[in-house]
Amino acid sequence: MEYEAVVGLEIHVELNCATKMFCDCPNRPGDEPNANTCPVCLWFPGAIPRFSQEALEKASLLCLGLGGELQPRSAFDQKVYYYPDLPKGYQLSQAHLPLSRGGGIDILDDSGKPKTLRIRHVHMEEDVAKLVHEMEGRVPVSLVDFNRAGAPLVEIVTEPDFRTPHEAMEFLKALRTQVRSVGSSDCSMENGTMRVDANISVRPRGTEQMATKVEVKNMNSIRHVGDAIVHEISRQSACLQAGEPVVLHTRLWDPDKKVTLPMRAKFEGPCVPDPTVPVIELSREWIDRMRSRLPEMPARRAQRLVAQHGLTPEEAGFLSAEADVAGFFEALTREGVAPRTAMHWLATQLLPAVKERGQELSRSPVTAPRLAALLRMLSRDEINANAARDVLLRLFDTDESPETIVGARGFRQVSDPSALDALIETVLAAHPAAIADVRRGQAKAMGFLIGQVMQASHGKANPKKVRDLLASRLDAPLNPAGQNAVEP
Amino acid sequence: MDSAFAHRNPDASAFEDGPLRGVRIAIQPNLSVAGWPTDAGSGALAGFTALEDATIVRRLRRAGATLCGATRMSEFGFGLRGSQAGVALQQQAADAELVLDLMGESRLAAWRAGVCGFKPSYGLVSRFGLVGLIPSMECCGLLSENLHAIRDILNTIAGPDELDFSLPEGETPDFPPRPMDPRATTLGTVTEAQRGLSPEQEGRFRASLDALARAGFSLRNLSMPDFDLFPVAHRIIGSVEASSCAGRYDSVRYGRRAPGARNWNDMYLLSRGAAFGPLLKGYLIQGAFFQFERYDAYEDACRIRARLLAEAARLTSEADFLVLPATDGAGVGAPASLAETYAQFAATAFANVVGQPVLGLPPPAGAVSSGIQLVGPRLSDARLLALGEQVLNLRK
Ligand SMILES: [Zn+2]
Repeated sequence: MEYEAVVGLEIHVELNCATKMFCDCPNRPGDEPNANTCPVCLWFPGAIPRFSQEALEKASLLCLGLGGELQPRSAFDQKVYYYPDLPKGYQLSQAHLPLSRGGGIDILDDSGKPKTLRIRHVHMEEDVAKLVHEMEGRVPVSLVDFNRAGAPLVEIVTEPDFRTPHEAMEFLKALRTQVRSVGSSDCSMENGTMRVDANISVRPRGTEQMATKVEVKNMNSIRHVGDAIVHEISRQSACLQAGEPVVLHTRLWDPDKKVTLPMRAKFEGPCVPDPTVPVIELSREWIDRMRSRLPEMPARRAQRLVAQHGLTPEEAGFLSAEADVAGFFEALTREGVAPRTAMHWLATQLLPAVKERGQELSRSPVTAPRLAALLRMLSRDEINANAARDVLLRLFDTDESPETIVGARGFRQVSDPSALDALIETVLAAHPAAIADVRRGQAKAMGFLIGQVMQASHGKANPKKVRDLLASRLDAPLNPAGQNAVEP
Repeated sequence: MDSAFAHRNPDASAFEDGPLRGVRIAIQPNLSVAGWPTDAGSGALAGFTALEDATIVRRLRRAGATLCGATRMSEFGFGLRGSQAGVALQQQAADAELVLDLMGESRLAAWRAGVCGFKPSYGLVSRFGLVGLIPSMECCGLLSENLHAIRDILNTIAGPDELDFSLPEGETPDFPPRPMDPRATTLGTVTEAQRGLSPEQEGRFRASLDALARAGFSLRNLSMPDFDLFPVAHRIIGSVEASSCAGRYDSVRYGRRAPGARNWNDMYLLSRGAAFGPLLKGYLIQGAFFQFERYDAYEDACRIRARLLAEAARLTSEADFLVLPATDGAGVGAPASLAETYAQFAATAFANVVGQPVLGLPPPAGAVSSGIQLVGPRLSDARLLALGEQVLNLRK
């Protein structure tokens, strides 16, 4: 029998707020252990949680960015369990009335067809402390670091719409991009600011039956999520084939062995409404105000770039994944640079150079107006591509304008036919064999001659002009292969 | 021997000048004062010392009050078993006492001591630094012989607190005393609230009402068939909240860790088992039962509470204030069982369930009439205290 997987995801995203969710402690879990604590996040007697407005705003932007519907009324509940990482015996979480319902993310499925993966709801909750297990001599000790206790989290719960590991991975990539673009979190699985649990079950393909699901935790990269789902599908399918029932439980992904292993579940009871944190009531006006703060979402921006600038969906997707990059591209086009040229220079020259220098695009000295000035000179044939690349690298180290650099360095391209004619004369005289080859229609020979003229001009000749002049002198056809030979 | 106090302030001088200069106030050890033992009467917090002042304490100090110490209290303020609330007033060791009111403790203690007991509107007084048990029901109550003192203290401690968001913004009553005109004031009685009274008690309550009528108040008979449900809703919701909120007493960060644990689970079971007294343990276990085994009953209780809130609002719209009987023979014995404890507070728990302000007045000296409870709409605290003064004046 053939089986198909039914997968839903639960994604915890740590919001990049300045403070924790219910107190003013800095939200910096990585600091010296227990440096960022106070009576509230240690839940000392008499402490009262004060819900952070910033957490509400960042969580709301995240929900709106994922197409969710912010609820006019939401509230915190107490999720009771006893564990040393939980300072008060319960975690504040929105179990009954979540912040947002609905929404979803569009991806391309395994066969390249568009598919929408639905989000059931998004709720807010506080993070718990971190346990560190060590040996003190031969005595095992468990240390508790409360820096993370009370850090603001949202949990995104999807519908069980996923059928393949590919879909889960595409969803997570798109989710990460969208959350980053609203500015609510950096969503790094490596740093633990995005944590993914997967609920996985299998059923005979084509049926609609509800099978027993297994929850898998502890994947710390998007690839691991895919690998864990692959493993779980084959493990559960084998169980079913062997006639063994799948039992409801939780498993941990072991990234080294690439297997999931059963873990002991924590005891959890039903959640009771928290009597201390006030109910959150959002007015229409407040929600509209949040919506107006929302940047254009990557998927929509990509569509617009395709329609407006004639880019391919892949190019538009590449640019839109980072708001900075798409913004830079659009700034170039506003400065009059052709979209193709802007895309090409951004992707192949500027971004690699910025990355090599360990800089960020938005803080790089090569601003969009400076690069645009350079590219305009290129399009007017005042310089050639080689010179443009050279000038681009110099823009990182100087405040001078591209025009000044071109003038000072003598990069200006030679297009004057009389000046070029003299060079061509000399080259032709030195290479009679190549002339014969060109006349026999050998493209390589044409490229060779152009290269010789370029060399003689110390790289300043306009290669297009040189080719035109050579072609008319030798009465040879214009050959695209020859063009490739001079334009690297 | 100083039996009323669990802790005496070693330096009971006031540092600031203000409206409460010279007023001696006793608190309970569930209100945080930096450096004071703050065990809320429980072994779960034995040896715990508060790190910072509660908002109430900060405001009292700023107004020049003298904090004379913390009185002995029942475990987490639940019921009056082990409580010495009111004794410091009787001994004239304090001018006013702050007493946690979970289901009527400040009123019962006041009747026991023959003084006035006031429970403010829920949320009017900050709970920051208050070591409580039932967050949605509890409130710091005020005891004094003198209603002016209660009014001045309330005026000092009431109002929004940036450390406690429970009081919605813009909801502060005005305290300047306004004369109360009996002829323009309707007092409602609730038939069902008088059901449990013996003929003799009923006679004494009647006498109290007659005195009010003679003073010119119009009395109006009202009905609330569900009045019996207040203690039931209180008991279910209160125990669930207490069970969940007492989860922080787990011996991980403070409190005493019982020896002999082999693992975490053991540590919790042994430490929590040793931490709480039998009455409170019974209450927490009852709450855990409703949360984990009968969540449906808990949800029913929440629905009933919402209905009771609406009913109570209706009553206080049909009359300016309500007059209800006091608990007769208050403080005679301190029951050891949950059922008896709730029976003792059957007449007072309603105000905690709905969060309305209530003033308990003692019976007039040597009179045939009884003590009473005066109840006002939410945040009518100032007017309610003015009414109380009017009623006390009638007795002169
Ligand atoms: Zn804190």
